[in-house]
Amino acid sequence: MTDSPRPRVFLVDDHELIRAGIRAEIAEAVDIIGEADEVAAAVEMIVERLPDVVLLDVHMPAGGGQAVLKGVSEANVCVRFLALSVSDAANDVISVIRAGARGYVTKNISGPDLVDAIYRIAAGDVVFSPRLAGFVLDAFSTGAADQANQPMVDPELDQLTQRERQVLRLIARGYSYKDIAKELTISTKTVESHVSSVLRKLQLSSRYQLSNWATERNLN
Amino acid sequence: MEKEEGMSITTSGHAVVGTPQRPLRRGRDNSILGGVCGGFATRLGIKERNIRIMFSLLTLVFGFGVLVYMTFWLVLTRSGEETSIIQGIFQNRREAQVVLVAFIGTLILLVALQTTGVDTTGGFAWPLVLASFAFFAVWRGASSDERAHLTELLNSAPLIGGVSATNRRGIVLRVLAGIALMFFGLHTLDSIGGVWGAAAPALFGTVILVVGLLVLLAPWWLQNVRELTSERRERVRVEERARMVAHLHDSVLQTLTLIERAAGNESDVVRLARNQERELRQWLFSPDLVANGSTSFVGLVGAIEHDIENDYGVKVELVTVGDCVPDDKVTALVAAGREAAINAAKWSESASISIFAEVEQTSVSLFVRDRGVGFDLDAIPADRQGIALSIRQRMAHVGGDVTIDTAIGSGTEVQLVLARQG
Repeated sequence: MTDSPRPRVFLVDDHELIRAGIRAEIAEAVDIIGEADEVAAAVEMIVERLPDVVLLDVHMPAGGGQAVLKGVSEANVCVRFLALSVSDAANDVISVIRAGARGYVTKNISGPDLVDAIYRIAAGDVVFSPRLAGFVLDAFSTGAADQANQPMVDPELDQLTQRERQVLRLIARGYSYKDIAKELTISTKTVESHVSSVLRKLQLSSRYQLSNWATERNLN
Repeated sequence: MEKEEGMSITTSGHAVVGTPQRPLRRGRDNSILGGVCGGFATRLGIKERNIRIMFSLLTLVFGFGVLVYMTFWLVLTRSGEETSIIQGIFQNRREAQVVLVAFIGTLILLVALQTTGVDTTGGFAWPLVLASFAFFAVWRGASSDERAHLTELLNSAPLIGGVSATNRRGIVLRVLAGIALMFFGLHTLDSIGGVWGAAAPALFGTVILVVGLLVLLAPWWLQNVRELTSERRERVRVEERARMVAHLHDSVLQTLTLIERAAGNESDVVRLARNQERELRQWLFSPDLVANGSTSFVGLVGAIEHDIENDYGVKVELVTVGDCVPDDKVTALVAAGREAAINAAKWSESASISIFAEVEQTSVSLFVRDRGVGFDLDAIPADRQGIALSIRQRMAHVGGDVTIDTAIGSGTEVQLVLARQG
């Protein structure tokens, strides 16, 4: 990790205490180039400063993390988002991923793990927590009854390959990418590309369960 | 009136045939209008229906029954309430004035009717006008609870079959009653002089009258219905809030107090906070799991997470995919998984344990993994052999597979897989 340049990180969270806590944990390892505590200011400053990684709180007034994702993507700049939340609810996780975040971690993540996740996002990788892997397996489970009467719009997007499934299972079992590579005797890069492809499916697939989770969140 | 007897009436409420109960109160649960008949039934220990028939018969005698009913409605105290309606009215000076003015107005109206000699409905005019006055007084003096009951009654009045118009039986009843009434009406008109004879203008007049009444009353009625639904919504919101407050009070505040007390002991604080966090999370995000924890596979595995974090202070990262109703075999699998998790919590020295549980169509699997010290499978210390055996034995008993993947320094994973029929 030390060989890559220090990523420039922007913090979005409406709780001062949480921001202070995160700052204290990651300030050693990354450059924090700004903070915001509300949606409009966050969008403006992110577009202006173009950080490598935005740490984004999912639950905020005025539309929450999704509103920030939307606002920044409308400005047509390429910024990578890592969503942070206290919630483990499927609809929270899935909706923020579908809105464009490249990873999701819960706020009780340890400092070193968070730094590691930030570096991976900055390098263009995807951060899948075991919990998120579980949600994806659930949503793409072939035997799902509600999928039976649901036409497969795009088999390319609406199904996981055998390998992707294996990788997700191992993530859910608590394996690191390195462990997974060893277990499946493939390279870490290949593991990463599998996970990236799962993320793409997660964002674009029209599988019932996924869109259902995403809209559930919007209704709340 | 002794207080205690009043209380006993409140709790029993219903008429018990053959056992008279004191004192005389208007019924609450067994009421249609004001609960007078129900009250008498409870007091005398006879069936409500008999009293109702008696009052109906009395009504035929120049509306006498209505008058008696209204008088009792005003004078008798409703079960569970402190004062009668008339007492309530006279306790409030303004209400008393309003009702008194209305009473004088009613008397003047009656005298005027009498002197001008307008013969309205024969002997029925006096009791009916007085009864309407009494109803007005009831409306003014009723407690908010009783008034809500009356509003509901008034709202459902235009619809035979009750408020629940979605109820199929209610709809059938309403349609049948409507058709019968229409036939009866047409027949009556026909007997006057043929529908297309003299009755035609009468029919026309009736339609105009009905439309007029609708125009007159519909807004009021609709508004009432709307108010009722918004009131109901408000009540649901208040109840939800109350539930939330109760939960926060019962668990979160208690835990915070405990944390304050245990502030010196780091591991205690962590354990308490984690416990509370998990509980609150579950309460917020998977309430159905809390409700039927032991009847689902996910619920059983969740219990492992709870116990390990509680008893050993080790963080458990639990991921589940799918769910099923646990049979004996699945329960054995979970028990073996629990042994594995306890094993990891006790010996691995790892700060966290990952548990992954998946239910597929053909199998149920459970993976318990730690990144702790690991061990040499071929040289298991004696105290661990027992646990390894108990895991293996449990799984062998139900025809499942156990794989233990470990090496010194690289953590341990116990993999439990059970084939599943159907």
